[in-house]
Amino acid sequence: MYRIRFHGRGGQGVKTASRILGRAFFNQGYAVQDAPRYGAERRGAPIFAYVRASRTPIYERGIIQRPDCVVVVDDTLMPVPAAAILQGCEKRTLVLLVSDLPAEQWIQRLHIQGNLICLPKAGEGRESPFLWGMACVGAVARLLGVLSREVLSDALRQELVTLDKAAAEQSSNTALDSFDEMKATQIQIKESSVAAAATYPPPHWVDMAMEQGPHTAPAIYAAATSEKLATGLWRTQRPVIDHTICNRCWWLCSTFCPEGAIHVDSKGFPQIDYAHCKGCLVCVGQCPTHAIQALAEQEASRLSGEER
Amino acid sequence: MKSTTDFHSKRDLPQKHILGTGTPMCPGCGGLAALHEIYDIMGEKTVFVNAAGCMTLLSVYPFTPFRGAWLYTAMASAPAGAQGVRDALDILKVKGAIKEEDDLEVIVLTGDGSAYGMGISATSGAIDRDLDFIYLCYDNEGYGNTGHQYSAATPHGVKTATSKGSRGYPGFKKDLFSIWAAHKPAYVATIIAAEPLDLAQKIAKASSLSGPRLLLALAPCPTGWSFDPSLSIEIGKKAVQTGVWPLKEYVDGKVVHTKIPKKRLPVEEYLKLQGRYDHLFHPHRDTKTLQEIQDRIDAYWHKVTYS
Repeated sequence: MYRIRFHGRGGQGVKTASRILGRAFFNQGYAVQDAPRYGAERRGAPIFAYVRASRTPIYERGIIQRPDCVVVVDDTLMPVPAAAILQGCEKRTLVLLVSDLPAEQWIQRLHIQGNLICLPKAGEGRESPFLWGMACVGAVARLLGVLSREVLSDALRQELVTLDKAAAEQSSNTALDSFDEMKATQIQIKESSVAAAATYPPPHWVDMAMEQGPHTAPAIYAAATSEKLATGLWRTQRPVIDHTICNRCWWLCSTFCPEGAIHVDSKGFPQIDYAHCKGCLVCVGQCPTHAIQALAEQEASRLSGEER
Repeated sequence: MKSTTDFHSKRDLPQKHILGTGTPMCPGCGGLAALHEIYDIMGEKTVFVNAAGCMTLLSVYPFTPFRGAWLYTAMASAPAGAQGVRDALDILKVKGAIKEEDDLEVIVLTGDGSAYGMGISATSGAIDRDLDFIYLCYDNEGYGNTGHQYSAATPHGVKTATSKGSRGYPGFKKDLFSIWAAHKPAYVATIIAAEPLDLAQKIAKASSLSGPRLLLALAPCPTGWSFDPSLSIEIGKKAVQTGVWPLKEYVDGKVVHTKIPKKRLPVEEYLKLQGRYDHLFHPHRDTKTLQEIQDRIDAYWHKVTYS
């Protein structure tokens, strides 16, 4: 059975990519499961999707714990704990990553035992983040070695039918180009055996004693506990305020910020709470003096000397 | 409690924002923008009764952006939930268990799926019973939390997950403001986050009154309406400037328009920013539908001006 796990951010075509791969397997005569995980399906938020394919009926259910291949549509998710990208990865797991950094650097940084392939973000047919998902599905289809170009092409046509013609063609071409690009590599995704209940290794359970309800689910009276959640990780672009241009109107960006993530300091200057700013960039468009600029998140964190 | 006279200019708008960050709402959510502006004025002495919808995701144990209590109800029954909370508070007051100044304002929070459709019977009943509560609907013109299927608030001609044809949704947006006003409640108003001063004045007025007070906020939805999140406020402003979203209030038996656009922009200026109207422009311009939409807006404002 093949088990492929997709990771990406909302809006990068992750769900569509998994559907296309599932469809291609199905057209090839496989039994298939493909499903996105229900959760924060919001633009920029970490998204998961799972594809299982087998020549025999599939009895496994739920999320994929031990993937044969992990597809990462956006490398900025690598350091995000909530994305749990390397969870359950073994030596035989192939990691396919959309990144401009060289594969060796990721292998070294993440201590990856198995294979890792990088698809550059920049390049023809990868202009928009949605196309990164398409590039991944093309590459995976080739790396599986059991799906032909024609089968992939049919699956793309069937699944992209709701897009307008030009967009569907562009997406399809991106996928097929990266299919061709992978012909040069010898690396292959290997099938793993069907898990039987008797031999299935249990996860690393933590034994917890039964406790009283008020202990395990205590009543919480604290205010605004949502601030513990770092939604700033959803951000791919960062608004940066130039306080030399800001005219301290104070109310505009801070009132319009849907998150309430801009507060005004004692001198009347707005300050952005980057732990929670989701990067919608409403403030950039609304600032009357154009004092707020949008920078790519990676570039911005490099400039401010942060490690993310 | 704030009074309407607190908000003369934009300089009077709240400087401190008290709704917690870290919510799971989409980036650029027009409903969240309205809610945080409203919450700044309503303050912490509030109980939210939330009908199922996008905003029930605000409070997922153990996290909440609110500073007070929150109750989750089924889609059709938030006003009934509000009745229960109001009654409980009243009993506590009579028994002397809470002081008058510790009383809380009960606020129903619902999306348009509930407000315009499933929940309208319970809302009507609550107004009949003269329930002392505030009802806030964030109207994103579809079932946003489940992938944007059409609702009774969906406007004519838009594309939704359940109206994908070349002509879009064939029905028309229900006039919920008039339905509410016909009940003769204490207060009804339309608001939008993109007009924070108008919003602040109306929220202050609503909180100075008692009885059923209903607020309808248009909530531009980047995900469901298919536009870049950064345009959320811009689209809200255009909704007002083109006359698509009339800002008005019903009080003392009269409907008053609080912000009449001096020179209304053509409705296209609003439509063309949104992917859900794309089929009216590409690949061919659907002049007939565009004119139909414009005519309906013109007819509305003609009535406002000459009656």
